[in-house]
Formats: sequence, C-alpha cells, structure tokens
Amino acid sequence: MKINKSWPYWLGMVLLAVINIALLAFIGSPWQITSVFLYWGIFVLNSLGFESLGESYTIYYGNGLSFEDAEIIYYLTILNIGIIAGSLLSALLSSEFKVKKIKNKKQLVLGIFGGVLMGFGARIALGCTIGGYFSAIPSFSLHGWVFAIFMFLGVLIGCKILYKDLI
Amino acid sequence: MAEFKLDCMHEVCPIPLLKAAKKLKVMEFGDVLIMKTDHNCSIANVIEWVDKQGHAMDYVEVDQGEWEIYIEKLK
Repeated sequence: MKINKSWPYWLGMVLLAVINIALLAFIGSPWQITSVFLYWGIFVLNSLGFESLGESYTIYYGNGLSFEDAEIIYYLTILNIGIIAGSLLSALLSSEFKVKKIKNKKQLVLGIFGGVLMGFGARIALGCTIGGYFSAIPSFSLHGWVFAIFMFLGVLIGCKILYKDLI
Repeated sequence: MAEFKLDCMHEVCPIPLLKAAKKLKVMEFGDVLIMKTDHNCSIANVIEWVDKQGHAMDYVEVDQGEWEIYIEKLK
C-alpha cells in the first residue's frame, strides 16, 4: 500500500470555514462538540432517577444552551454522530481502517486518565478546542484568543511531560 | 555500527516519532534504528521528519498496515 498524502491545509481550512458558516445559518449555532455531552449525561442520570442534577448544572456548564434549545441539542447530537460516521467512511475510502490493539496496561490507564481529564476540562472551560477556540475566533470573541494562549501552553507542558517521563 | 530496535506497535501519533527522536539522540553516527509501527499517521510523519533531519531511511510494509522503518543516523 502506498502512503496516502493528506489534504493540504488550505483546502481543509476553506472546507471547515464554509461548512461552519452553513451550520450557523442552518441551526443558529456554530460548531461545538462537548456541550451536548452534558445533556447526554444529564439525560442518563435523570433516567436513572437523579432528578436534581439537571438545572444547576446546565445554568453554569451548558454554555448558553438549555433544555429549551432541544432543537439545537438534537442537531448537535446528529453532528457528533456524523463526525464518527464521516471519519469511518474517510478511513475506509483511503483503506486506512484498522482495529488497533491495546499495547499494555500503562497505555490503557493513561488513555482513560487522559480522556477523563479532557472531558472534564472541556466542560469547566465551557468548550473544547472546537466550541471554545475554533468557533470562537471567527465569532470575534475574545475568549477564543485566551483559549489559544492557554491551549498552546498546555500543549507545550504536555509535550515536555510526554517526552521526558512517559515514553 | 550498532543496531537498535524500537517497538512502536499499537502506539498512536506522535509517540512513535518522539520515541525515534529520543533514541536517535543517544545513537552514534552510522548506527541503524529499526522501528516497527502500525500507525499510518506515524509512518508518514516519521519518514518526513527523518528526511528533514538528513538521515538515511527506508521502509517496508511487513504486513497489512504494519511497517518497518530503517533509519541510519548520519548527522
């Protein structure tokens, strides 16, 4: 198999911009991924009988969404499923799909730990790299730039730790 | 001229690249590093990085989606 070349950055940039504009025009919200996780979590907890966990969480962590915005939550859910389906399709089309094994316990523990930190961080920051950064800067919002500075610092520190201690 | 092995199977980007960079640092000129990876993004970025660094390099797909990369440290 030859090694597939990825698309050039400028093409990805143009496509992302056009699709995000279309999304904003269509559902009234720019692209965001993790806000809707909160509603899935609350839905699961409420279904299990933890009624009181809804309101206070969404007021602070809902990032401007509330249960009245059911339509946007619905679209964002479809969008998240679409990301997974689209990635799968793209991997299959370039014959790059592969079921990866877990190497060892360390990799498993680091993966779970990292995943929890990412999910928790995205919520207390009111957005992940998509909602808090990618969609914020074209909205002329200052918080996107603040996010950028601290994301850069975080990546720098993360790389140092990864390089020195974890590999 | 020594030979070093690096098992990067089942490891995700950018760990294989960082491991290779770390290993090459302690190797002598003319030493050969053989690394194995099954991550298609790693095979692309490792060979690009090695090329930029000016080392000699070759790779072969040993199984479907599994590669062996041979790097000779020249600089």
